[in-house]
Amino acid sequence: MKTLKLLVAISLIATASAQAGTIEMTVNGLVCGFCAQGIEKTFRKNPATADVLVSLENRLVAIATKEGTDISDAELRQALKSAGYDVKAIERTDNSIDALRSKIRATK
Amino acid sequence: MNIFPGRIVPSMALVAGSLLASANAKPIAFAEGTTVMAEYGAGTMTEIQAFYAPTFRYSVGGGHLSLNSDVDESTRDITYARLNYLPKRWNLESAQANVFVWGSIGRAHLGETGDNQFAWNAGGQLDYETRRIYGSLRTDFHEASAYNHRIDTLQLGVAPYEHDYETLAVWFVLQARDYTGGLFDGTEWAALIRLFKHNAWLEAGVTQEGKLQAMLMFNF
Repeated sequence: MKTLKLLVAISLIATASAQAGTIEMTVNGLVCGFCAQGIEKTFRKNPATADVLVSLENRLVAIATKEGTDISDAELRQALKSAGYDVKAIERTDNSIDALRSKIRATK
Repeated sequence: MNIFPGRIVPSMALVAGSLLASANAKPIAFAEGTTVMAEYGAGTMTEIQAFYAPTFRYSVGGGHLSLNSDVDESTRDITYARLNYLPKRWNLESAQANVFVWGSIGRAHLGETGDNQFAWNAGGQLDYETRRIYGSLRTDFHEASAYNHRIDTLQLGVAPYEHDYETLAVWFVLQARDYTGGLFDGTEWAALIRLFKHNAWLEAGVTQEGKLQAMLMFNF
């Protein structure tokens, strides 16, 4: 019984740590595909990045981070500043990138 | 006057070929990005350029500009190394505006005399865009001991719909270009359509004389 409880506990911890977070940033100056391309390229180089979504319509840059990793707000702001853009807000959410993609497509 | 000067066609084909094989034009696209551009300006000017931007503030590279006078038989072939700099960018909520400046040095070959001369160039561009309207004003001054030319270009564009990163961007652009130094009499007008998606850009149209005006750009 003790072994079973231990296995359940390990399983729950593993499931929780596998749920990587999503960082959603509101960015000013996002008006063209080249802007989006540069930002996507910048964040894909970050070892903590699992996926990147850029939406010009929503002024959104979303980054899914790999499990057990995060990118600090200071690092995010610096990366976007170095790419030539201004961050207006940073939010950590439970939305997956796929869910955000679907939501953006549905609003078109 | 030849619409496609023989010495430029191979260069354009090479650039177009490499672009189609890999996939993307402004002097600085994004940090750590490479930009390759080719422009055919109605037979009067043809230019190819390649730049690498270590940061979003500047890029370095080179190009080749061919100027063929519409007024007389004079031609200039200018090969140059260039530095582009972005001194100011405004990131607005749904718009962006930029000021670019550049300078280059190189060698000019004069077709009418066969002379080769040191040549230099300085220019600048002011642009403003949203996802619906676009405007840019560019000036480019070229000088060698035998000539000086200024090429001023105004572009105004409107998009029929607001594109996103994953969709094709379509723009209708009206261009006015003025040449000084005996290259072209009056103002050359062109109606263009611009298409771009991800890292590839194509702009093409015709001038009031029915000549081709086109530009290809790739960023990677």
